[in-house]
Amino acid sequence: MKKQIIISLLGLFLMQSAFAGETKYEMRVDGLACPFCAYGIEKKLKAIEGTSKIDVDLNKGLVIVNMDEGKNLTEAQMKKMFNDSGFTYRSMKKTAQ
Amino acid sequence: MFLKKLKPISTFLIMGLVSTTVLAHDPNFGIGPHVLFKDGLEVALEVDSAKAGSNKAQELGVQVTYGLTGDWSVGVTTPYEFKDSATATSNGLGDVALFTKYRFWRQDSLGLQESAAVFMKLITDTAQKNKSPSLNKGTTDTIVGLTYGYEARKWYRWASARYRLNGTNNELKRGDKILIDFVAGIRPELTGYLEPDTVWLLELNGELGQKATVNGATNANTGGDEWFISPGIFWTKRNFAIKAGVQIPIASNLNGNQQKSNYRIRTTFEWHM
Repeated sequence: MKKQIIISLLGLFLMQSAFAGETKYEMRVDGLACPFCAYGIEKKLKAIEGTSKIDVDLNKGLVIVNMDEGKNLTEAQMKKMFNDSGFTYRSMKKTAQ
Repeated sequence: MFLKKLKPISTFLIMGLVSTTVLAHDPNFGIGPHVLFKDGLEVALEVDSAKAGSNKAQELGVQVTYGLTGDWSVGVTTPYEFKDSATATSNGLGDVALFTKYRFWRQDSLGLQESAAVFMKLITDTAQKNKSPSLNKGTTDTIVGLTYGYEARKWYRWASARYRLNGTNNELKRGDKILIDFVAGIRPELTGYLEPDTVWLLELNGELGQKATVNGATNANTGGDEWFISPGIFWTKRNFAIKAGVQIPIASNLNGNQQKSNYRIRTTFEWHM
């Protein structure tokens, strides 16, 4: 029993450490119709230093990105990045994790 | 002499109609306004098969496309051709083609992209010579086109028009051609980003050809119109796509004595890098 509690606590600690300090960005993007075409966004985001997780919700027009601690995305950077990918950037919501 | 000059017309016709330029979520036989993302690289392997009367042709093409900007792509296609005219067969490198597409208008909204693009393709005269049936048309031809696309999560539609301006070789001028395409597509299931995605396509492709001339004299057995209905599929998973379609002739009004198209099949494998 004691061993199980220690392992659980250790697991919780590791999970917390893994996500500690990450920043989540939710970007509203227009023109997202097909998953194949959205690959360019994934490729370009991955090229940005500090990107740790990328998800695309096509139905809601959302691109969700987790950034490492101390790494940020800017409006101007995203506007250009999405335009280069062939889409239209609308807005960005930032939440700390 | 006259007949000798006309020979490349019939042998080239079947293959000349097959070669188009695929790009991302574009139709199989028509063209759409899709371009690559900036600095994106697309490698595509295209397998074409066509039959018109006793003439058969297969083409294996490798196409590389690069995204200069988010709205402008350039590329090159290198085909390898196999031809069978019932009395002889031949194979070898076909004409290398260079192409570019520029998306000059784009209107984005939630889950929807409407856009329009201009297209230009230069089909060089680089095919292997002295083959029978001929692989070589002996001219550099140019295709210019205009295309519109409506791409939503569920429904797709495209329309395009192209003009093929054929060059003149040794007083032989193959007739220019107008290509018209109307395409509808549906995604039955709205899948997520990393899930396999399927879009079904139905194309209406029209080809309106002018007569060929030799030394200014018109050949009655060239040119004319053909219309095709072309069901197809577009299957993708992340950065990999398989496209396939078949062109079935539904109306033919070819001039004089010419072999009508029986079918054309196209399969394309695409990688975005």
